Amino acid sequence: MGIININELKKVYTTYERGSSFLDTVKSLFVRKPIDIEALKGITLNIEEGELLGFLGPNGAGKSTTLKILTGVLYPTSGKVDVMGYTPWKQRKAYVSRIGAVFGQKSQLIWDIPPLDSFEMNRAIYGIPSQDYRRRLDEMTQMLSLENIIRKPTRQLSLGERMKCEFIMAMLHAPRIVFLDEPTIGLDVIAKEKIRDFILEQNKRGVTFILTTHDLGDVEQLARRVVVVNYGEIVFDDTVDSLRKLSGIKKRVELATKKELPDLSGMPGVQLTGRTSPCHAELELDMEQLELNMFLQNINQNYVISDLTMSDPPIESVIKELYTQKERQPVTL
Amino acid sequence: MIRALDIYITSMKNSFAARMAYRADFFFCCIMIFISELLFPLLTMLIYSTGGTFPGWNLAEVMVLQGVFMLSKGAANLLFFGVVYNTLSRVREGTYDLLMIKPVSTLYISVASGFEPDSIGTVLGGLLVIAYSLGKLSQPNAMQWLRFALIFFLSVLVMFAFAVLMAATVFKWVGNSRIYEIFDNITAFGNYPRSIFSKSFQNIISFIIPVGIIAFYPASALLGKDISGILPSICICVIFLLGSLALWKFMLSRYTSAGG
Amino acid sequence: MSIIKAAAGPALKAASIMKAVAFATYKEWAAYRSHAMVSLFVGPVYFLVQIFIWKAVFSSRGSINGLSLDQMINYFGVAVLINYLIMDFADWNLQMLISTGKFLSYMLRPMSHIYFALSQKVGHRVLGFTIEFIPVYLILFFVFGVRIVPARPVFAVISIMLGFIMMFLVDYCVGITAFWLTRTSGVRRMFLLLRDICSGMFLPLTFFPDVLQKILFYLPFQFIAYVPVRVCVGSYELGGISLDIPRIVGIQAVAVLAMSVFTVVFFKLGTKRFTGVGA
Repeated sequence: MGIININELKKVYTTYERGSSFLDTVKSLFVRKPIDIEALKGITLNIEEGELLGFLGPNGAGKSTTLKILTGVLYPTSGKVDVMGYTPWKQRKAYVSRIGAVFGQKSQLIWDIPPLDSFEMNRAIYGIPSQDYRRRLDEMTQMLSLENIIRKPTRQLSLGERMKCEFIMAMLHAPRIVFLDEPTIGLDVIAKEKIRDFILEQNKRGVTFILTTHDLGDVEQLARRVVVVNYGEIVFDDTVDSLRKLSGIKKRVELATKKELPDLSGMPGVQLTGRTSPCHAELELDMEQLELNMFLQNINQNYVISDLTMSDPPIESVIKELYTQKERQPVTL
Repeated sequence: MIRALDIYITSMKNSFAARMAYRADFFFCCIMIFISELLFPLLTMLIYSTGGTFPGWNLAEVMVLQGVFMLSKGAANLLFFGVVYNTLSRVREGTYDLLMIKPVSTLYISVASGFEPDSIGTVLGGLLVIAYSLGKLSQPNAMQWLRFALIFFLSVLVMFAFAVLMAATVFKWVGNSRIYEIFDNITAFGNYPRSIFSKSFQNIISFIIPVGIIAFYPASALLGKDISGILPSICICVIFLLGSLALWKFMLSRYTSAGG
Repeated sequence: MSIIKAAAGPALKAASIMKAVAFATYKEWAAYRSHAMVSLFVGPVYFLVQIFIWKAVFSSRGSINGLSLDQMINYFGVAVLINYLIMDFADWNLQMLISTGKFLSYMLRPMSHIYFALSQKVGHRVLGFTIEFIPVYLILFFVFGVRIVPARPVFAVISIMLGFIMMFLVDYCVGITAFWLTRTSGVRRMFLLLRDICSGMFLPLTFFPDVLQKILFYLPFQFIAYVPVRVCVGSYELGGISLDIPRIVGIQAVAVLAMSVFTVVFFKLGTKRFTGVGA
């Protein structure tokens, strides 16, 4: 039994068709045609305490629906969720006092006053004892080097400083699980690194993180396990390493030869991805369909290799493949 | 209870501090609100000055009524009416979820974070109009003040019910900032002596939408006028409040099942 | 001939821009059908309250300020209806664009934002005409029995159009103050209050003290609603000045022209100040 247990989670939304012409507008005053949209088609997932899980998926795949259900904001249509012994949407108040959340695009800070005042608000809301509050606040401001920042009005802070404050806001009450939704969006390299370090440090201390992001750098540097959802289903659930290995069966090769190369894409397992001159080609090789040494020998004998670089495809291309794998089911809106 | 108070006070401090970031605008707004609230009494004065009257009420009495209306509205705006705009803007921007991940009643937190300092102008305007007009009338005795205080409490309660009702509506009715207009429109009936309305309308504002309790009954009590018909109105008040809360609960649960 | 042609080019272009912007605005707002439904409720209810007030006030006397009960009710009926034809949020919109820095994108367009905003208002009010004005007119006609037919329709239409422009100019100028002020809610409150009181929306201006009426005659506000309403009702009077319909409409046109010049100058000053806050 993990800290989060999700079983056959389903969510169906009903929306209404709405036309754009004047006649449609008048018509929609009286009759509206309902449309069902299956956002989650039955997700089963277990997460252990202390995990740092990357939760990925293209826009509209069901990511935020899952996140909303897990934070107690949304009722599912069916299925079971057990987080720390709670059903989020049923025991909302007791449950949410034990979780935290950071949304990169939705600020919890009050714009015109210093973050410190917003923190005070959370102290009151979560009923954090003053001593604990002080201790945790000092500790986290130090970790994020924000000592001089939290007394300035929020609107004067940089995006990076604001995001660090969002983390403090979300973690003052010492949650056991923290949900992160695009926590590094729009940040510069240094701010990103600082925030990633902070997450790793908190994770070491036992906090479980669920990280939703489109930034694969976040995933590669933080997560050990990756879950990918698409079309309301889990399409991948394994370690980051095996995600990389998934791409291992393909190799990228850049070739320069003495003699002119023909179009190699006719060969089984070979895909031509780029060509800058007759003696130069970029290829993607499928290791399941061809023997690498045989292929190279063959090229060397016929065209004489002068230069060669080989690499694994970047993780992006694996993700891209996972995102586009299945035909998108037609959804009428 | 202590925690609830702590939340409200912290939130109030924050709203005030945030408003103080634009000090000049704040004072200006307060003054403007103060002046604009004097509009109704001013129009009444103009009507009376040209010889028109509301049957059974002299000018000072009508102004007490309109002062009470301002006071009730001011208290409501100051303390909890922000819940409507708060809900409206958060649902529209998709940040309502941030309130739902807090471990307290969502209604309470959206009320608390909607403290609206500008409305101090309305409260002051109401007090001023009442004081000025009472100066021209015979002074109410202690019993009248007591009755007034009790009914005025109900008046603020009705305002709260309206606030909750509107907050409930904007869950579904995203982006309709005109909801305030409807409210102003309906409560406008409360700004005048009940006697100017036809019998059927008197019944509507006493027994269906308890608008009469906002200013007519408290002012009548203060002025020592007949308030014999008030009992059913009080019951309606309570039903109205409970109904609003129930609707709010229902709308929240719909919101949580449909998502933002 | 060539002069006409030379002038026709830009005029046609301006017209096609207005048509495109107005149409887009019309479509945009058509989605907010509930906004319009509010009007169907608010207008008639406001009117109903006025009927009660004035019936009570008139119960003891036949005429006040030279107006009979019927004329009074007619005045408010026309005021409610005209409001649907001329209202806008130009002040709110402009201050929002400026304070968020979005105004920058309009500075990059090869057209004045004033004209763009006016075109938007045209689209918005054409929509208002179809889904607010007509239904409320019918409600007033059939439910309340208020038969509003202007005595001189052509002048009424011209006067309403001028009121439409005047309201836009006044609101737009209020919005322009955002170039200087970080927060405009106070200023906007003041002007909108002043506008609504001084334009005769709440009470015929003849109810005000004489001195005030004389001042009001020279302010832009009466040309927003009071003049069009009186033109529709069929008689004009303010501050002891009675004018026939063509003459007051002529004065209204001059006032609108003067206000346009003021707006353009004020706007130019403002854009010079524009620093691109938040952009």
